[in-house]
Amino acid sequence: MTAAEPWPENATLYQQLKGEQILLSDNAASLAVQAFLQMCNLPIKVVCRANAEYMSPSGKVPFIHVGNQVVSELGPIVQFVKAKGHSLSDGLDEVQKAEMKAYMELVNNMLLTAELYLQWCDEATVGEITHARYGSPYPWPLNHILAYQKQWEVRRKMKAIGWGKKTLDQVLEDVDQCCQALSQRLGTQPYFFNKQPTELDALVFGHLYTILTTQLTSDELSEKVKNYSNLLAFCRRIEQHYFEDRGKGSSSIRLS
Amino acid sequence: MAAPLELSCWGGGWGLPSVHSESLVVMAYAKFSGAPLKVNVIDNTWRGSRGDVPILTTKDNIVSQPAKILNFLRKQKYNADYELSARQGADTLAYIALLEEKLLPAVLHTFWVENDNYFTVTKPWFASRIPFPLSLILPGRMSKGALNRILLTRGEPPLYHLREVEAQIYRDAKECLNLLSHRLGTSQFFFGDMPSTLDAYVFGFLAPLYKVRFPKVQLQEHLKQLSNLCRFCDDILNSYFRHSLGAFSCVNRNQQQTDFGEASLLLDKKRSMPICRNSPSL
Repeated sequence: MTAAEPWPENATLYQQLKGEQILLSDNAASLAVQAFLQMCNLPIKVVCRANAEYMSPSGKVPFIHVGNQVVSELGPIVQFVKAKGHSLSDGLDEVQKAEMKAYMELVNNMLLTAELYLQWCDEATVGEITHARYGSPYPWPLNHILAYQKQWEVRRKMKAIGWGKKTLDQVLEDVDQCCQALSQRLGTQPYFFNKQPTELDALVFGHLYTILTTQLTSDELSEKVKNYSNLLAFCRRIEQHYFEDRGKGSSSIRLS
Repeated sequence: MAAPLELSCWGGGWGLPSVHSESLVVMAYAKFSGAPLKVNVIDNTWRGSRGDVPILTTKDNIVSQPAKILNFLRKQKYNADYELSARQGADTLAYIALLEEKLLPAVLHTFWVENDNYFTVTKPWFASRIPFPLSLILPGRMSKGALNRILLTRGEPPLYHLREVEAQIYRDAKECLNLLSHRLGTSQFFFGDMPSTLDAYVFGFLAPLYKVRFPKVQLQEHLKQLSNLCRFCDDILNSYFRHSLGAFSCVNRNQQQTDFGEASLLLDKKRSMPICRNSPSL
């Protein structure tokens, strides 16, 4: 990864189809990356492809195509962007950087896992939403096969990390705990590290905004987030500052 | 609450009250919060399931998993986080997530997957505490479970080879140790002068890595360079576990000696607990 080339104008971000296919967790990840790049002032064009997951070098979306490099997932993208000379966390000292990394892991550990659980292990959601959406671009029987395969993979992972036996209520409890921690850390500041946003803000925004604006079988998940007014204000602030002001319009998605 | 609290957990060695991270987390928390725990060390006569250890038993409840046990103790008014602010409580959750995501895979690998370590240290130690014939099966199962967890959570493409996954998880673990060291700085505990839940978790994860003698020690070597983390573990061992170390010595099985390498547990001569005698070879 060379730092020599500047950021090209035609950098693209690939994700699944917005309206019919993309799922909650993937949408959150994609929005986090988009927010991060906006915060760094780097232009990016979003392209939707049905096979984005398979095009990605790590099997995860989103991924960005910059020059002749392809990088996927927020962590590696942050490193890549840093190598090109742009960074949001340079101003932090070592202790703050440790805190930032810890909170990013908290979001991955609790919020992302809860989203995956809800999408793939909660029978109601799986039946009504996930299966239909995940396989929608493909013909029968491929759509069913792919959906079942993915479900099996996710369930295996849940079991390995000890979430296999959790009930939906326990998962929602965990989400609440996570939101409470984020809310307490944010306090009355505009961003997590006061005046300037960092990749942590991008990640939290991606997940919370997606949870708030996605319609699922019930509102329980978004209600958990709505309990914390400073988190709502935080999402609104980032949406207004980085998405609407730049003329991109609202990125809200209705998945129903 | 007056009801006796009993904890069943894996025993100790190498100067530790337990070599099992999760058991150690619960023990440390109990010491910090003043909970009167009666510790039952698993030996090869124990009949219960070993999969869920550590397990807390009271008159009416059975609780497993460290997070749930700690919650239970807090509800019984044994709260080590009483003095923490809301933000420090939030930081605790975040750092625990960091430990589980970044450090745990490498710790699991060091204990259960790295062949030299597993066959010379971990497997004999655990097998000696499990009755035959389970002793032939259970350690292998625990090892597979550890490998499974590592591969499922970290072994995704483009890291196709186990060797690449190993390199990545050790890099992450070293970074995590560095972050913890920065965060601890020169303080005695993570949040001031009194130990809290986070200290229990960090101690639980770090102490076995620090003390157990392994043939393949790259992560241990890295940890030893971070002197404030080593001092942190030693302080907790000396302040909270010195007197109870005698209760956690390894069990002699009749005539057989279980060999653990070169660490030794010196016990107060007044106690009549069996002493673990160690010889260098296995």
